[in-house]
Amino acid sequence: MKSLARKTDLYAIAWRLPMLVWQGLFFIGPLVFMVAMSFFLVKNYRMEPAFQFSNWEKVLGRGFFWDSYFLTLWLAVLATCVTSLVAFPASYFLAFKVKDTVRRWAVFFLIIPFFTSYLVRIFAWQVILAQQGVINAGLSFIGLGPFTMLNTKFGTMIGYLTLCLPLAVILQTFSLAQIDKRLVEAAHNLGCGRFRSVFTVVVPLAKTGLVVAAVFCFILSFGDFVAPYYLGGSKPPTLSIMIIDTSKSGQQWPRAAVIAIMMIVTLLTVAFAAIGYAYRKRR
Amino acid sequence: MATPLVVFENVVKRFDEFVAVKRMNFEIREGEFLAFMGPSGCGKTTTLRMLAGLEQPTEGDIRLAGKSLLGVKPHERDTPMVWQSLALFPFLNARENVEFGLKMRGQDSTTRRKKAQDWLERLGIGEFAERDVNSLSGGQRQRVALARALVTEPKILLLDEPLSALDAHLVIRMQGVLTKLQRELGITFVYVTHSQSEAFAMADRVVIMSKGEISQIGSSRDIYRTPANRFVAEFVGRNNIFTGTVNATGAINTPAGSFEVDTKAEAGANVSFVVAADVVSLAVEKPKVRNVFTAQLISEEFVGSMVTLFLEAAGGMEVKLQIQERALEGLPREPGQQFFLSFDPAHAHVLKG
Repeated sequence: MKSLARKTDLYAIAWRLPMLVWQGLFFIGPLVFMVAMSFFLVKNYRMEPAFQFSNWEKVLGRGFFWDSYFLTLWLAVLATCVTSLVAFPASYFLAFKVKDTVRRWAVFFLIIPFFTSYLVRIFAWQVILAQQGVINAGLSFIGLGPFTMLNTKFGTMIGYLTLCLPLAVILQTFSLAQIDKRLVEAAHNLGCGRFRSVFTVVVPLAKTGLVVAAVFCFILSFGDFVAPYYLGGSKPPTLSIMIIDTSKSGQQWPRAAVIAIMMIVTLLTVAFAAIGYAYRKRR
Repeated sequence: MATPLVVFENVVKRFDEFVAVKRMNFEIREGEFLAFMGPSGCGKTTTLRMLAGLEQPTEGDIRLAGKSLLGVKPHERDTPMVWQSLALFPFLNARENVEFGLKMRGQDSTTRRKKAQDWLERLGIGEFAERDVNSLSGGQRQRVALARALVTEPKILLLDEPLSALDAHLVIRMQGVLTKLQRELGITFVYVTHSQSEAFAMADRVVIMSKGEISQIGSSRDIYRTPANRFVAEFVGRNNIFTGTVNATGAINTPAGSFEVDTKAEAGANVSFVVAADVVSLAVEKPKVRNVFTAQLISEEFVGSMVTLFLEAAGGMEVKLQIQERALEGLPREPGQQFFLSFDPAHAHVLKG
């Protein structure tokens, strides 16, 4: 019996091994190195192993880091809220109002944006949003504009939505489509109007999926470099832009590591809190 | 006779090409326990859903308390339903589930709470009020669903196969709970089921449906003793159906024998008649009565104090016979044993059509 138990253990480990090796080599390893690096010293543009706190003090002690931190946090929260709200009606429609075949096609079309590189899509937005771009050209016909959309927070937000919206709609649609329709009917039957049932029944039932979609939006926007750089004009910088700037200027890799660690801690905190909330069990 | 609470007038329901309900006309009396029974796909659930407004009739009119329900949204009707799946809200606890209908009607939380608690207590699950509905047993969940539907004090309660997910012993207990509640509250229960025992045990009147049409409406006794047609007789299942031709003397020649039955059919006509399993008598010696035929014992089924005997008569016809187990004492009961069966002509019911 004992040898059998050990055998199944080995079997289970064998299946997990590739994942464990991959995560160890390319996630845990670099992460540990990055944490160590945040205590290194930079002398004459050269990094030296050390254990001192000057990088942490320099980064966290400066106002512009915190300005950037809260800007990034705010933009990511805003992108999460806007994406969730814009995606929800579309997802609701796809989940409840169309036939299965239509839904399948819709999901297929929502996957298509992922066929082209995100960077390419952002460059396309530059052409559309530019001062002499497509939108302003169109608006000038009716005597409006031109509006400055590129290099503004509006531009950044457009970029975040480009990144998050298709994924959010897919995740929300799947979670809404799984709802037992009889529960919605039961709500109607008990005197709950159609519009009201969306908030009293549909949202609570799909809570987990909706929160997971929102968490994805937050993670993607919080760490994104492309949208704030190419559409937002990089000023004021978000944390991802700050990492690039810091590492480029004077080989300050240790300080960049401090910023990166702050980002990871933030993402982990938000993700765990949100997932904990999504899966919270009642007594 | 009580006034009709619900009237179905020429109601037709089509889903694309499929006709779920074909021109239905019937009334539901105020305060009665009405059961719809039929095989799956017969349209009984669709009928109930039309009453709740979850489906709109394609043609015809449904009136509740004299007012047409056409165009009345489900949430504007007071026709709460107990669902086969119970459809309890998993994100609410037992009490909050019961409160739901009151909340939608804008009652304040203190009143809501009290009413919900009262109902849970009335149904014997007061101590589980704050429990997650998923942590409750099947019977307890059933009671939460009942309380949720009844808390708004409706005139009519719709029940869609509410007991089909329960264990057999719980079904019997819940049947008792339901009939007691219905009698105490005096409200109308409309109950959909495919279970004959549930329908017959609880309902004042039973509606037998087949392929979107009503085959018969009547008391359990009427349906059992005088089935309207062959479908009902077969569906009820405890009947023996004899089919034959009327001969020159007015008796009916069937493969199992020639029988005297009260029929106005002329000689040469094809006639079917039903003899319920519990009115067939059995003897070892040939009795000196009318309508005697022989059959061989195939098997028997023991149901409490009653026994159902399955026999084969001439022509391969299966005959069911229900009898007190005690009445069989001392009789030989080996398979293959030949018996003389008989029935009173007055107990034979001739089928129409």
